Amino acid sequence: MSVLGSHGQSSSLQRLHYVEKRIVRLLELAGVAMDELGNASAPKTEVLASHCRDFMMAIKEIQTMLREEIRSTCEYRPFEKCDYNSRISNEIYCKKLEHIIEQLDAMQQNIDQCSNSI
Amino acid sequence: MEVERNKRMRIDVDKLPMKRLLAIDEIGNEQFPPEKSNEEQRLSAIHRIDFSLVVEKEKEKEKEEKDKELSKSKDGQQQQQPWQGLMENLRQAQHELSVILDLISTVEANDSVAVALMQRPKPLPNEALADFAVSAATKVQRLRHLGRYFKQCSKTMEQQVSKEARFYGSLIRLQQNWKVKRQRMGISEGFTFDLFDSRSLSGADSTVLTRPSPMSTIIIDQDAFGMLAIQLPQKSCRTLCLKFLGDDSSTCRIKNNTSEKNASSSGSDIAQPPSVKEILSDEDVSGCIGTTHSILRDIHRSLFEEKVFEMVNREAFNNQSSQGINVTGMRQDFLQLVIGQDSSLCLSLVLSEPEGEYKENGKDGSYNEDSSESGSSSALAPILLPTDDKNPTRSFSKLALSSKLVLSLQIYLLSIFHQETLSRAKEGHSSCGSLLAHFCMSVAHRVFSNKVLSILENLVSRVSYIELVSHPTWHSRTSSWSLRLKVPEASSVFDGGYQKQTKRSQFLTKVVIKDGQISLRGQSSATIVASFAGDATEPHSINTYTCDLEDLPMLILHQVASQVIQWLHEEALVVGMKTSRDLLCLNVDLEQGDTLSLMARVDPDDASACISWALAIPAVTDDAVNFSFYQTDSDNPGLKFLGSLSLESLYSALMDLANFCGNGAVC
Repeated sequence: MSVLGSHGQSSSLQRLHYVEKRIVRLLELAGVAMDELGNASAPKTEVLASHCRDFMMAIKEIQTMLREEIRSTCEYRPFEKCDYNSRISNEIYCKKLEHIIEQLDAMQQNIDQCSNSI
Repeated sequence: MEVERNKRMRIDVDKLPMKRLLAIDEIGNEQFPPEKSNEEQRLSAIHRIDFSLVVEKEKEKEKEEKDKELSKSKDGQQQQQPWQGLMENLRQAQHELSVILDLISTVEANDSVAVALMQRPKPLPNEALADFAVSAATKVQRLRHLGRYFKQCSKTMEQQVSKEARFYGSLIRLQQNWKVKRQRMGISEGFTFDLFDSRSLSGADSTVLTRPSPMSTIIIDQDAFGMLAIQLPQKSCRTLCLKFLGDDSSTCRIKNNTSEKNASSSGSDIAQPPSVKEILSDEDVSGCIGTTHSILRDIHRSLFEEKVFEMVNREAFNNQSSQGINVTGMRQDFLQLVIGQDSSLCLSLVLSEPEGEYKENGKDGSYNEDSSESGSSSALAPILLPTDDKNPTRSFSKLALSSKLVLSLQIYLLSIFHQETLSRAKEGHSSCGSLLAHFCMSVAHRVFSNKVLSILENLVSRVSYIELVSHPTWHSRTSSWSLRLKVPEASSVFDGGYQKQTKRSQFLTKVVIKDGQISLRGQSSATIVASFAGDATEPHSINTYTCDLEDLPMLILHQVASQVIQWLHEEALVVGMKTSRDLLCLNVDLEQGDTLSLMARVDPDDASACISWALAIPAVTDDAVNFSFYQTDSDNPGLKFLGSLSLESLYSALMDLANFCGNGAVC
């Protein structure tokens, strides 16, 4: 997702997406830890400990990010400044510009033709 | 009770009959057991007698008998040993069971019992290990199952997350430009794009209240990969089309996003095999967003154009009697108006074809009338010069009305109605006068001014020393041109550069058209010599007059010719010749008292020379004073036709005359 804010910082949506990805990774980690525990041979304690540490760190990170995001959410204002009028203005200006450009191109062609015939 | 001698007598003394509670509930009510009759009491007393010892003794007797029987059997001692073990175990088991039964009965009798020792049977070693192994294996299996479950969850969650991220990311980007509404109630919860502009209506003007058309709410969908898709109703996008009756060219232009439209309209399959779904990249998402955005743009624009058509219809219907609007035809999506005297304007709403391609058009600009697609090749064709074999002005004006001009009129119509809606949104009803009438007059003006322009161009192409200059007027019902007459710089220098500075190098004739009325302003020059002659109060003398279309060429040529005469007059004065001037005639006084006249002859219908010159030489006879324009050389030897001359040759002719005069002229 390449939705960046105006200053290059990540947007709220990007951060939430990151949180979701972390949660997915977390589940994966839990699965790996379970596998390790359920190892046919004895589960290695260091590996398990490292997994659990990672898990707890991830939980902490997710928690802080979510807390921040929830604190900074604002109410959804459904498009209060409706600029459909200016959008139509722009469309009309666009049409005018295209028309003018065509006419200028025609003039250019005329000039070329005249200069070619000379 | 009868007692045997060998046995001791046991006397059980009943405890005092207490009322023992059966139950007590929350409130505190006590429930006592029901009163027992005497029979029951006796029975319960009998139950309390412990017969266990007796039973045990009997069992022991039975066992002894069995042992005797077993020992009497003829099987070997090997069989006896396992049996004996078994018997021993059974005996032990029986003893345990009896103790337990005793315990139970004592407790039933509400006696407290002190349990001294309870001993578990020692488990066999392989049993213990087996149990342990089984539990361990189950645990491990369960853990592995959990691990698989977690991994599976994470995979599905990842897919779900990316799918939602695509959808909501697209939605947020589109939401920056379009109004998104959310429906929570109803069967399906979902998002919609709302293209209806509520702010363009004003509350004060209730007659203009419009309902949102069904096309202004667009439902947003997700496809299988989370890409945003919108449900586009087929063939309902319409645009406004303006054209002149009898004109085959169509000017409706539709932005050509059609090639990409199929990608995201519902009802058409997205041409991506399911194996590609992991490779859906950011570019794909951006492309989808772009397509959706352009579709929404098209729909929004077509909504506006429909609104404009409705407003036009309303004005035409309401103000039919007012000037300028003459409705000759009205159908479902069609309006026909009469402009001026001879042209008819058609305004219609046409469908925009969703699957259109650029069509190559012929050079004459003819299009397929049913299709509303148009290529742009004819617009680039240069304007043909009016050298057609037909009546030049008429055919040229017809050509000039094709595509370009009609398109600009179309854009103008949209623009003025949009201004109207803007001003209505800001204040109340604020349009002064009927917009449609104004528009019709503008169209009439354009048609007329095209004719005038063709005439002017015609003239300019035939007279070599006039230039045509257009002036923008920034008003839709006014047009203005200038005809510039450039006079050559005099090569002779008088009194240094003094006179050069004051000499005007051009004469202007201004043609202004307002709403079908032509006004002509011819500029005369002022030089120092003229101002010395006493005209200081009026440096410029401007002739202004209005005229008709038919008289225009003649008047312009008159004007130009008189300007040339004037210039020659000034040059002659500079040189020092005694000259006077009439309307189209320059009279030079000769030495002998004769007058040489240089006359301009104006003929707008002459294909080669509009302005031609004639020299009237004073004849020897007396009737040299009587000239006639239309006498040929043979009739009047005094009149010499010079044909059309350039300004330089006129000037040199004048200088020759100056030599000829010899009246103190300095050459």
